[in-house]
Amino acid sequence: MDKPDQRLFDADVASAEFRAGALKGYWGLAGTDVLAEQPAWPARILWIAAAPREKAPDRYYVRLDLSEYRTDAPTGTFWNPNTTATLEFGLRPKGRPGSRVAMVFRTDWENGRAFYHPYDRVAAKGHSDWLRDQPSLIWDSDHTIVHHLEEIHSLLNSGDYLGL
Amino acid sequence: MVGEELELFIHSQGAKPKVAMTRPHETLREVLVRSEILKEGQDDLLVFVGEWEEALTEGDEIEEGEDRHEAVDVSLTVEVLELHRHPHIHVHKCKLVAVEVNFNGRTKQHRFSPATTIGVVTRWARKKFELDGAAGAAYVLQICKTTKQPRPSEHLGELVKSSVCAICFDLVKEITPQG
Repeated sequence: MDKPDQRLFDADVASAEFRAGALKGYWGLAGTDVLAEQPAWPARILWIAAAPREKAPDRYYVRLDLSEYRTDAPTGTFWNPNTTATLEFGLRPKGRPGSRVAMVFRTDWENGRAFYHPYDRVAAKGHSDWLRDQPSLIWDSDHTIVHHLEEIHSLLNSGDYLGL
Repeated sequence: MVGEELELFIHSQGAKPKVAMTRPHETLREVLVRSEILKEGQDDLLVFVGEWEEALTEGDEIEEGEDRHEAVDVSLTVEVLELHRHPHIHVHKCKLVAVEVNFNGRTKQHRFSPATTIGVVTRWARKKFELDGAAGAAYVLQICKTTKQPRPSEHLGELVKSSVCAICFDLVKEITPQG
């Protein structure tokens, strides 16, 4: 029998918000074109579409640890479907220096293993000041995987996203 | 679309959207009753199809503009309404939602269709306040007197309370994570 956090995640993947974004080509669960099956829970691999940039992919994959979903925020980073490992720094999306894109996708913090964003539990735990500075982005159990995906999608489609 | 199953997203006032499966021959009323959005015979709600973006083409000189999104006849079928092209359905008491956006001591107003996403309202506001381009992308909408910043894919109709057809936002700069 699936665990409660897994059942909650599966229900959110079936929700109108997730399905509508998938239908628009914004995001989705990684399919059999890149992996035989999803990793064991609590890991999941998803893709997120990116704005066209020269020599950059039209989508990026992320591997998220969803332990205690939705009570706890996800954590994770970009994933390489070719090597089935964490995406090399050189292949990660880059942002204009000083921009939100550059900060959230930074690789000079925690060895690039998490997103530098309040929706990532590793980042959030180390930054209690974000609770004061960014109250709208504090993860609670009303947040779903769609909030996380929409935030990353927004960054990958921002004018500050430069490609590789 | 010969008889195949179709996925619809039904948005209603103050509620999370629902997924409904349908087929081309079904009427929209049948879909909405089956999804428990409408009761049999209920006709006091307006039903809109699609996601409305008319405000983005509004001239810069226009103040207090208004969308012209007409409600549909729910006795028509899914096929006639071409819902395979417009899978978002909005059921609402308000024909229009009066939106006020404040920025830098100025206020802009527009009466939007409830079927407008926050993403579209944000783009409209950035344009009205001349914040186009990469610099403008850092600005987002925050509901007045709160810290709530709705997601770009949320619809105005889901955010307004049933008793009012209006909402107020501040256009604020997103904070870049630091520290």
